Amino acid sequence: MKRKTGLSWLWLLLGIAYFFIPLAATFLFSLRGKKGVFSFVAYANVFADPLFLKTFGFSLRMAILTVAAGLALIVPTTIWLHLKVPKARPVVEIFTLLPFVIPPIILAYGLIRLYAKPPIALVQSPVLLVAGYVIISFPYIYRSVDAGLRAMDLRGLTEAAQSLGAGWLALMLRVVLPNLRTALLSATFLTLAIVIGELTLANLLAWPAFGPYMAQMGRNRAYEPAALSIISFGLTWGAIGLIQALTRSGRDKASGIGAGAH
Amino acid sequence: MAFIELRDIEKSFGKNQVVKRLSLDVGKGEFVSFLGGSGCGKTTTLRMIAGFETPSAGSVKVDGRDMSGIAPNKRNLGMVFQNYALFPNMTVRRNIGFGLRIAGAKGAEVESRVDEMLGLIHMEEFAHRYPHQLSGGQQQRVALARAIAVRPSALLLDEPLSALDAKIRVKLRDDIRAIQQRLGITTIYVTHDQEEALSISDRVAVMREGRIEQIGSPFEVYNRPATPYVASFIGTLNLLSGAVADPSKGTLLVAGRELRSSGPIEAPAGAEVKLSLRPESLSIGAGQAGHNRIEGRIESVKFLGSVVRVVVETGGQRVFMDTFNDPSAPPPPVGSSVELSFPPEALKAGAAEAASEPERAAAAEEG
Repeated sequence: MKRKTGLSWLWLLLGIAYFFIPLAATFLFSLRGKKGVFSFVAYANVFADPLFLKTFGFSLRMAILTVAAGLALIVPTTIWLHLKVPKARPVVEIFTLLPFVIPPIILAYGLIRLYAKPPIALVQSPVLLVAGYVIISFPYIYRSVDAGLRAMDLRGLTEAAQSLGAGWLALMLRVVLPNLRTALLSATFLTLAIVIGELTLANLLAWPAFGPYMAQMGRNRAYEPAALSIISFGLTWGAIGLIQALTRSGRDKASGIGAGAH
Repeated sequence: MAFIELRDIEKSFGKNQVVKRLSLDVGKGEFVSFLGGSGCGKTTTLRMIAGFETPSAGSVKVDGRDMSGIAPNKRNLGMVFQNYALFPNMTVRRNIGFGLRIAGAKGAEVESRVDEMLGLIHMEEFAHRYPHQLSGGQQQRVALARAIAVRPSALLLDEPLSALDAKIRVKLRDDIRAIQQRLGITTIYVTHDQEEALSISDRVAVMREGRIEQIGSPFEVYNRPATPYVASFIGTLNLLSGAVADPSKGTLLVAGRELRSSGPIEAPAGAEVKLSLRPESLSIGAGQAGHNRIEGRIESVKFLGSVVRVVVETGGQRVFMDTFNDPSAPPPPVGSSVELSFPPEALKAGAAEAASEPERAAAAEEG
């Protein structure tokens, strides 16, 4: 028993080491911007670069648009799928694998070929970029929403709400979406994380996004890319922490803490 | 005039016809149960009334209004589900007030109606709890309050007690009946539990293979089953075989003894017929003059609490006898000989259909 516990700890430590040694190394390297001393000069350089904020801002805007478009498209579709054609779910699951199977470079060339000339010329418009991002984030949004819907008794809740007079809009806004909260939050943050770091689509469609900026930085500088990695790592963890905090406050409310239950 | 009117309704899923030309009138304020085993079409029929399924043929009318083409949310029918279906993101208070708010009722009006409903189900102190903080029985009471808060024209209950413990089931079914009678609300109740159906309904519709086999008061359905299926489905039934002695007098030979049945028999003398006999109509001893008598050997005695079930072997056939527990008179020992008697009216000839134990077992298991 004791030996088993010891082994578990050993594996845990190995796991932690595997993930954190490269991170620590990157962090230490990012602090060596000034010779001989540890300093945050690389970070200062990153933040001082106007391109950093510009590209990050652009990617963030694209990410927000992607989240909005993706949720608007995928959430109602998935709900409809669960309620009306549950048998088609395995087929849709295969579709959700396509963005993993088809490399983004193929997707980008396909989009360019199709939308470069009339009748639909979209290459100059960020709409095409967002549309591409929606495709890339489709598996993540679909799977989050699907898991959320499986966790609730969608059919039962739908019928209960309908028998109480609720139409589709009231059903969605008052019953389904509030109960999908955690799933929607995780879909949102996954999409944000993916879109902000995305390189291929932004590069090939020639947009000043954060992904290409990071790649460019990596080619030209030594310490700043390491600082950027740490910054984006921090942003991602910040987002995950936010999901945790928001869902926990939701759970606390649901379990009656501070809700006046007695 | 009937308040709920089903006319020749049918429902098929692909090739499988689940409900077959079913017609039924339910009076205003009446409590009708659909009773039957799994797959008999009882839930599908209820869902057609609620609007969650569309009949393949026939019509559903509520209060004279044809329901075809009317969406479930426009029918004003309260529904209670087997798995409660409370909204997990809302407190008890908000669950109950949901339908009122949808209907556009204002704050104070909603609050006072919700208070009234909380009083009706005796759950005032649970108003601020969330569904997952309640027991199954409490959740179902909230679901009931939520369904009737909007003053529906009728209440539909789909096996509301199936997921609950036996004790809570009995308590809650009495509560449901009391509330229904107090409000005078027309109610259709789906169940596979015969005791539940018999104990709370004005009328019970026994269903089988998409049809109503018999509809009548619990007393009628139990004591005067219209078909052998109803007889075997409701209550425990002894099925014996005997040879017709005199068809016009209704006498038969069972295990060498001549017995009188409830009336003339539609079979020629000498023909083998099935006989049915309720266990509670038998008693130990010679009984009154004119009663049928059979002799046998006690095979087993089961003590069921208020009732004692004695199994007697007679002429190669087994007969169940139910008698009330009497603390001063313990049941006769196993293996002893015994004489049983029963009135001729209790013996019904012609129950040619086999008792469907597997079917009833399936009904009992149906969740």
